[in-house]
Amino acid sequence: MTILRKTLKGAAALTFTAGMASAECAEPIKVGVLHSLSGTMAISETTLKDTMLMLVEQQNAAGGVLDCQIETVVVDPASDWPLFAEKARELLTVHDVDVIFGNWTSVSRKSVLPVIEELNGLLFYPVQYEGEESSKNVFYTGAAPNQQAIPAVDYFLEELGVEKFALLGTDYVYPRTTNNILESYLKEKGIAAEDIFVNYTPFGHSDWATIVGDVVALSEDGKQVGVISTINGDANIGFYKELAAADVSADDIPVVAFSVGEEELSGLDTSNLVGHLAAWNYFMSADTPENASFIEEWHAFIGDENRVTNDPMEAHYIGFNMWVNAVKEAGTTDVDAVRGAMYGQTFPNLTGGVAEMLPNHHLTKPVLIGEIRADGQFDIISQTDPVPGDAWTDYLPESSVLKSDWLDLECGMYNVETESCVQLTSNY
Amino acid sequence: MIRLIFAVLLGMIAPSVVMAQDLQSLLQTHQEEVAKPGRRSVGVVLDDLVASGLTEAASFLENWQAREVYVRDEDGLFFYLNDDETQLIDITSGAPSGLADVGLTQVRPNGGVRRAIGTALVQFQLSDPDINRRRGAIEAIARDMQASQLEPLVASIEGEADPGLKVVKERLAGLMRASFGETNEIRIAAIEGMAGDLSVDVRAVLNQILATKRVVATELPDDQNIATVLEPGTDLPMEDAYDILVAADLAKPRTTQNQIKAALTGNIVEGRVGGMAIASLDTFEARAMAYEMLAAAGLVEPLVGDDEVQDAIAVHVIYDVYTEQDTEITEAAAASLDALQTRIAVHQTADLFLDGLSLASIYFLAAIGLAITFGVMGVINMAHGEFIMMGAYTGFVVQQFIPNYTVSIIVALPVAFAITFGAGVLMERTVIRRLYHRPLETLLATFGISIVLQQLAKNIFGTQARPLTSPAWLDGALVFNDIVAISYIRIAIFVLALIFLCLILFILKRTRLGLEVRAVTQNSRMAASMGINPNRINMLTFGLGSGIAGIAGVAIGLYAKVTSEMGADYIVQSFMTVVVGGVGNVWGTLAGAGMIGGLQKVIEWLNPSNTLAAQTYMILFIILFIQFRPKGIVALKGRAAGD
Amino acid sequence: MERTFIARNPSILWFLLGLGLFTLVVTILSEATGNGAISTSFVKTLGKTLMLCLVAIAMDVVWGYCGILSLGHFAFFGIGGYAVGMWLMYARTKEIVVENLSNAVIPATEAEINGAIGVQIFGVVGSSEFPWIWAFADSLFLQLLAVVLVPGLLALVFGWLAFRSRVTGVYLSILTQAMTLALSLYLFQNDSGLRGNNGLSGLQNIPGIGDFNQAQISIGFFWASAFTLGAGYFLFAWVLDGKMGSVIKAIRDDESRVRFLGYHVESYKLFVFTLTAMVAGIAGALYYPQAGIINPAEIAPIASIYLAVWVAIGGRGRLYGAVLGAAFVSLLSSWFTGGGAPDINLGFYIIQWTDWWLVLLGLSFVIVTLFFPCGIGSLFDKLVRRQQ
Repeated sequence: MTILRKTLKGAAALTFTAGMASAECAEPIKVGVLHSLSGTMAISETTLKDTMLMLVEQQNAAGGVLDCQIETVVVDPASDWPLFAEKARELLTVHDVDVIFGNWTSVSRKSVLPVIEELNGLLFYPVQYEGEESSKNVFYTGAAPNQQAIPAVDYFLEELGVEKFALLGTDYVYPRTTNNILESYLKEKGIAAEDIFVNYTPFGHSDWATIVGDVVALSEDGKQVGVISTINGDANIGFYKELAAADVSADDIPVVAFSVGEEELSGLDTSNLVGHLAAWNYFMSADTPENASFIEEWHAFIGDENRVTNDPMEAHYIGFNMWVNAVKEAGTTDVDAVRGAMYGQTFPNLTGGVAEMLPNHHLTKPVLIGEIRADGQFDIISQTDPVPGDAWTDYLPESSVLKSDWLDLECGMYNVETESCVQLTSNY
Repeated sequence: MIRLIFAVLLGMIAPSVVMAQDLQSLLQTHQEEVAKPGRRSVGVVLDDLVASGLTEAASFLENWQAREVYVRDEDGLFFYLNDDETQLIDITSGAPSGLADVGLTQVRPNGGVRRAIGTALVQFQLSDPDINRRRGAIEAIARDMQASQLEPLVASIEGEADPGLKVVKERLAGLMRASFGETNEIRIAAIEGMAGDLSVDVRAVLNQILATKRVVATELPDDQNIATVLEPGTDLPMEDAYDILVAADLAKPRTTQNQIKAALTGNIVEGRVGGMAIASLDTFEARAMAYEMLAAAGLVEPLVGDDEVQDAIAVHVIYDVYTEQDTEITEAAAASLDALQTRIAVHQTADLFLDGLSLASIYFLAAIGLAITFGVMGVINMAHGEFIMMGAYTGFVVQQFIPNYTVSIIVALPVAFAITFGAGVLMERTVIRRLYHRPLETLLATFGISIVLQQLAKNIFGTQARPLTSPAWLDGALVFNDIVAISYIRIAIFVLALIFLCLILFILKRTRLGLEVRAVTQNSRMAASMGINPNRINMLTFGLGSGIAGIAGVAIGLYAKVTSEMGADYIVQSFMTVVVGGVGNVWGTLAGAGMIGGLQKVIEWLNPSNTLAAQTYMILFIILFIQFRPKGIVALKGRAAGD
Repeated sequence: MERTFIARNPSILWFLLGLGLFTLVVTILSEATGNGAISTSFVKTLGKTLMLCLVAIAMDVVWGYCGILSLGHFAFFGIGGYAVGMWLMYARTKEIVVENLSNAVIPATEAEINGAIGVQIFGVVGSSEFPWIWAFADSLFLQLLAVVLVPGLLALVFGWLAFRSRVTGVYLSILTQAMTLALSLYLFQNDSGLRGNNGLSGLQNIPGIGDFNQAQISIGFFWASAFTLGAGYFLFAWVLDGKMGSVIKAIRDDESRVRFLGYHVESYKLFVFTLTAMVAGIAGALYYPQAGIINPAEIAPIASIYLAVWVAIGGRGRLYGAVLGAAFVSLLSSWFTGGGAPDINLGFYIIQWTDWWLVLLGLSFVIVTLFFPCGIGSLFDKLVRRQQ
């Protein structure tokens, strides 16, 4: 009884209608969802699982794909990185899913990559990341560094006149790589090495007094200081509290964050942080009809008017719709056929404009800069034209010679100097 | 007076004077820049607005800065809105002009533009009757000092009614004179007037006067204010020196390995390069040889040799030159800055000490409950961290019911104590009591409880961090000067830690309960035969330790974050604090916290870019320390030591 | 001698027999032999579980037999994984790089090849230089040696310092936990040279073995794991047999008395501590190629506590108890978190096991320590005794 009820509640009408449609549907179409539902990443990733359930439900209500209803297979890798690889293998071999939407952290993606490539699966990865990767089997619907970090730095240089940078990050791959790219970019823009202060702190760091003091002291040579924060998760709370305590206003030392969105701000009182910045490809406050209806549907689906929407949700929204269209175009869910049909797919962004899937498996997306408001939302103060995502950054010597093009060159790591494909699998 | 300044400014910064226009039509000529302003493009709008002499200009600028200007989508005209956002307000007359039910877009100038607007507003606000506006103007000038603002600022000092602000204005004028004063005497006097001021802005002014740039030339010029001449080989490596020459087009760039490779690839003749077989070119030496062969044959440019580098460097001189031309001024500034350096170092040490003290008090607060349960009773309670977490969540829940932050904190502290005291007593009665003779198993059982509590917290409150906001009087920091500052919340934690230290010492040393606790922990059976009920004492002691952890949780949640995993962050650290300090002694815990906190800050100071490394080395140090002093800093002697 | 040893410990034969049978059944049912009743991912899970059993045995020896509650053995396990992972990453990347560079007109120099490997491995963490730790990464033999030597050496030095200072009981536990924390914090740093938080990944791809697919590789590792577990079980049973074993157990029961009897207690403890650390390293070296990725989160202090808990639940002081505990708890854990367990509907609240499994696990620690200090293994003992 309990099992039956669970099926009815969990997979809801999906399995039921799938059963009905299977009369004309040769094989059910399965979408795997690989997001942690427990452990440290659960808070971020559960939202994405719900987003996927909502998107699938909407698509099924609209008639499904190729006359079939879509079935979702949800597994829980429990924020355990090796488990991601195990669950991905399970999805592809035991459940035979046609596509996987999943992962949040870079390390979980790197864990899954070898499995997806070995079994020729298809993964949609929805989170901003450090780039330097292009797998044949992964579509990156989140931002590459040139779609988030570089425009934000440009904004600092152009609009705020920042001359001295403090790059503060949590000690892991995304901040390290992003800061390396930024350092090299800033030097190219004429910022001297001694005007760039870099600091790394552990996950969940809470003792910020010294670091904030160091940042304030940076302005002792009379230059405008700006902070670029790649601080992750909970550690932001202590950081912003200390900023507020030290009375560092956005007018004196602006802080732009790449990992702080609507969700993270709900963990603290933002009244002292008004004016500090964040850069994303999507803000909940974007004023478009698409966004308004997306938020409305989300609230209806989740049954809570207070839930926020965020950037990775938009990435899944675009990714899923593109996949559906590509499947329709290809007439099959075969991975290689769908991959071929993905290139050049377009779909409207929630923030206006149109996203396009490029042959390097990244999207074109506009970059938005928002100022924190007292209510925990963001005022969008700058929106660029769509920026094509770049898998390999132009600002690191080793990467600038690399190019990804799965359409013409059929290679994700093509060295334009030696004109050869470095490798077909990705570097995990 | 204002008019006068106005006139002066008009003449100075308004080349494109647009006359006889109303505000709206003036703005419409710059519609694009006003509606979507950028820092670099907004200047012309501001110039025109200031130059127009329109009386509404100032209030428009203020509204623009405060994001209270709206564009009507259909015709691009600018409006304000009334308070309930139902009526459009004309920007010139301030009169209502229609309902706000049409398409409107808020104009959102970014931070850079708002600063530029602030600078333009300075002249209107310096002598404004509203002190907040005057203060805003001063802040705007301080943020972005410009020569043109010195005179209006000086002019406004005399009429300044507020004595506090007057001092600020005078100080700012002094700073500006150092940079923009008309004569050298004025500037030097201003520089000397700043002596001993540790503020960041003073150092900023001095450092800007002393800004240098690196120049390379064939010989030293005598008409420039040279800071230092760099000796290649000692002041900077030969390699770098040569690179500077190359960058200045004064020397031939070196041939890189990639260029050599490309040159070799381009000169392959019948499978050989420069007479060498291709297959043999798998070392850099072989490649260099082949390249030299090619160079000898005149096919490629020869390599830059070491001699060539030496010669090139020998005929050039590399030096730093001040952007400030006048030697007297740079000397005065350098002297002032030098004089500051020692004082800065002293204050930095003081700041480091304060930070260390603050960190130590946080560690102490986290560990003090453990000092009782582990230190005095000898119970390994792995769920101690979760008691801290429970305290923090109690604070969060109380704030949901009591919106006044001050009251909620006052209520939360005893409630947190009561809840964790209860939890501690419950745990002691059900679990720990049965395991007094099996300490290692206490560790496992309490670890199980810690997992349960953590997961329950996740199930109840979710994994997202929850806000625990401190009352307004704990916001901000106690600022001694721009170097030494400490936030009030940290001071509060320090005070709390002190109170607890005294309280616990008092309970243990001066009360009946403390006497009984000591008796029971030293010899439970003997104590029992003296009429003490050891069960009751153990229960109360454990409850006390747990309750204190709950209060510590409220304090820690206020300064950092409230998550289900916050306890786990402190547990290992807390145990080490107690062990390092010496078990069985509250003073030991204090010493342990002091050592760990201080040490961590010192290591951080040695390696400021990597906090994680500091924690690693600190733990390694503790491990070594315990090896050589297994009983901790304050070791108990005699019978109390227990062995 | 051998015969008498086996004769004294008939459980060894039973254990080895059971293990052999289990291996055979799994192999027949696996995808590698074409049956496919057991999926490759489950074969990997089983193989990993065997290695967890081995490290649990090591833990049992050091804690259950010698009385040292070490909260550092999972760190040794991780070190073994890192050591073998370095070779796997290096060799795999080298294959790719050499193949790519062989297309170049001018043959690549040693430095260029190394540079390219460095970029491939460390590009992810924003570096391209080889840290000194990787000096021997190109030699499988040396890295395999490191699997045993590095944990052994670390345990030797740490143990020597700690035992010499007579740090015992809970203090030693806290100290070993601090060591684990220091190691994991060190590895979390990007500058550690072991790719920081990302760790070493793609370890399931074994370089230089040609066309074997993952189904075959996983069965190969499963065999290797089963063999190693058998050998480890045998080794420890042998060590604990006879006089040596008696001294070790005596140290657990009363250290001072053994010392007064003239035994050099520290040497015995050091021997046990180091030997178990080395075995833990070997277990890790076989575990992580099956997991595919190793990163610092694996060696966080909590992992070592879990290890102790497995042993406690399985039953201390019995080698098979450790095996039972590790296999039981880890498989149960993956069943519950994998969504295998059905939700329980209480009417007003639905218990979802992904949320409540840890609560259950935690409570079971408490109950086991309070009421069943001998763990599951004791049930086994009772069964055997009744038959006799």
